[in-house]
Amino acid sequence: MANLAGFSLPVLLDVRNIKKSYRMGKVIVQALRGVSFSVMEGEFLAVLGPSGSGKSTLLHLIGCLDRPDEGEIILDGKNVLKLSDDELAELRLKRIGFIFQFFNLLPRLTALENVELPLMLARVPEREAREKAKKLLELVGLGGRLNHKPSELSGGEQQRVAIARALVNDPKLVLADEPTGNLDTKSGWDIVNLMRKLNEEMNQTFIVVTHDQKVAEVADRIIYLRDGLVEGIKSVPR
Amino acid sequence: MSGALKPSKLLGMAWLNLKHRKLRTVLTTLSVVIGITTIIAVASLGEGFRGEIKQRLEHGFELDVLIVFPGSFVAGLREGFSQSDVDYIKGIENVTLVTPLITVPLTEDLELCNETGAKLGAFTIGGVNFNEMRELLPQRFTLWKGEFPVENETGKMILGYKASIVNETMVADVGGNVSLILSHGFMRWNFTVSGVLAKGGTSGITNFDYWAFIPIEDAIKLARNKEKPYQIILVKVSNPQKAESVARGIEKHFSPYSVTVFVPTALIRQVDGILNLVQMFLVAIGSISLLVAGVGIMNIMTVAVMERTREIGILKAIGAKNRTVLSMFLAEALLIGVIGGLIGEFTGYLLSYGLATVLANFIQPSGVSIAERPEVHRIEMAPSFSPLWMLIAFIFAIAICIIFGLYPARKAAKLNPVEALRYE
Repeated sequence: MANLAGFSLPVLLDVRNIKKSYRMGKVIVQALRGVSFSVMEGEFLAVLGPSGSGKSTLLHLIGCLDRPDEGEIILDGKNVLKLSDDELAELRLKRIGFIFQFFNLLPRLTALENVELPLMLARVPEREAREKAKKLLELVGLGGRLNHKPSELSGGEQQRVAIARALVNDPKLVLADEPTGNLDTKSGWDIVNLMRKLNEEMNQTFIVVTHDQKVAEVADRIIYLRDGLVEGIKSVPR
Repeated sequence: MSGALKPSKLLGMAWLNLKHRKLRTVLTTLSVVIGITTIIAVASLGEGFRGEIKQRLEHGFELDVLIVFPGSFVAGLREGFSQSDVDYIKGIENVTLVTPLITVPLTEDLELCNETGAKLGAFTIGGVNFNEMRELLPQRFTLWKGEFPVENETGKMILGYKASIVNETMVADVGGNVSLILSHGFMRWNFTVSGVLAKGGTSGITNFDYWAFIPIEDAIKLARNKEKPYQIILVKVSNPQKAESVARGIEKHFSPYSVTVFVPTALIRQVDGILNLVQMFLVAIGSISLLVAGVGIMNIMTVAVMERTREIGILKAIGAKNRTVLSMFLAEALLIGVIGGLIGEFTGYLLSYGLATVLANFIQPSGVSIAERPEVHRIEMAPSFSPLWMLIAFIFAIAICIIFGLYPARKAAKLNPVEALRYE
């Protein structure tokens, strides 16, 4: 249990002074220069910053897709930096769900098969997997488009499929990287509202990276990121 | 185990991906098909040809009969064998029968003629023990007509088929009288034909069509060296597998290079060994086409990995392990190998029959028409498909696909997920 800024909830994620630089051509980019914050279970957190602020890098590190140069990431009580590549893959499979700006669905699979894929990787029995995937697609309002390929769906619909896929393994943490960045305003808001609804109804923790102040305002808290550092943290009053 | 797909799912997805790139898949598979077709065709034709040659050799020789000649390739011709040589060979282990032959070549100075003075078709006079010859070569030393002389009955002659028939006319029949004439009448021995041997048929050392046989007691009178009169000793062994050890036993008795023992089983083994080598060589050349196919697979898969970099990133992001990504790509290589291999086995089967028909017309004995010498069989080029070869070729196809697919698949598996997701 942690007691932070008036919250009294179990800490799901603890990010401690992480640094990350990477090479772009001949230039070394200092993407993160020492970022620390905590996320409570069931929280809806927005990471807001202009492009180049390091917010995508931060999300990749939290999502165990990459390792920081320095610092610690404690997810659900586990120091993820001590895990092997296979263990990280396992963590991504069972504890983390990803939502991307460009939806990132597999183009040759139907909506249903895309949502089933994480369950298949987790070796969930086929019938059970099918039921679960259907249920989640219905939950995001796509019950009628199960057998459509991504190319047959609108951007908003594709992002709903991606949300269903992110949630299908009941992850503790859902990470969204500019989820509205590739959508028109209305579809964008639908997606934000859907995520907020899922957060409230299913008590799922969300971290949403965005550069859109209005999208960020939906969150419980906003972390302002600039030039690889936390500029400020603000709780959004309800 | 989580993070890994079930084999059926893995193959299903591989199939989807291959189907998506239909033309590429078909072309890559085609290269495997060509490789396997080549291997199957070469192996089965080689196998069939080898079997045919072996069968002909086995048919042409008595496998349990050794033929002992005096002299050798190194030392040249040497005087004949003595009775004590014959007796020695009789004492060697696994020898069941030994019979010596006196051979006298027919020349202008020694002619074999019938009552009207016409020459017979024989080239060689053979002095033999008829009973022993019949026991030694029961299949070959058989009569077409007449009968064998009884023991110690001199003045009788058994003619080979071609010795009795010249230009399709019988020049000497059973009961007829023939004469051996030395130096145009300087000396003359008379014989009565008591039988004619059946046609010898296929080639082989023991083909007696052009021989005229007389009792060994008569032949000894023609021999120049009465102490060592025998030019050939035929040795029957209890079992063809003992032939080579018996041959060594015979060689030991004589001074080096003074004797040549012809061992049919050894000859057949050597010829078979050479043909086997040739077959292997051809298969090895055929296998190169499969290697080329392998390089093609590597190429096409490397391109596929690049094209699907983002997809690989997605898979990793949602929890696929490195080895899952690896196995997904290997499954595609495996499918190409299995499908290409199966089709290749079938087309190889068809091709070998096609080739056999074409080749058969090229390898018939040249210079002799089949009508003229019917005993020279038409060589059959039927391919022989051994399940072992089929299996080896199939496994080879899969192995090549997997081995050449391994590099691009590993490349895919090792992609950094963040970079892969960023890939446009």
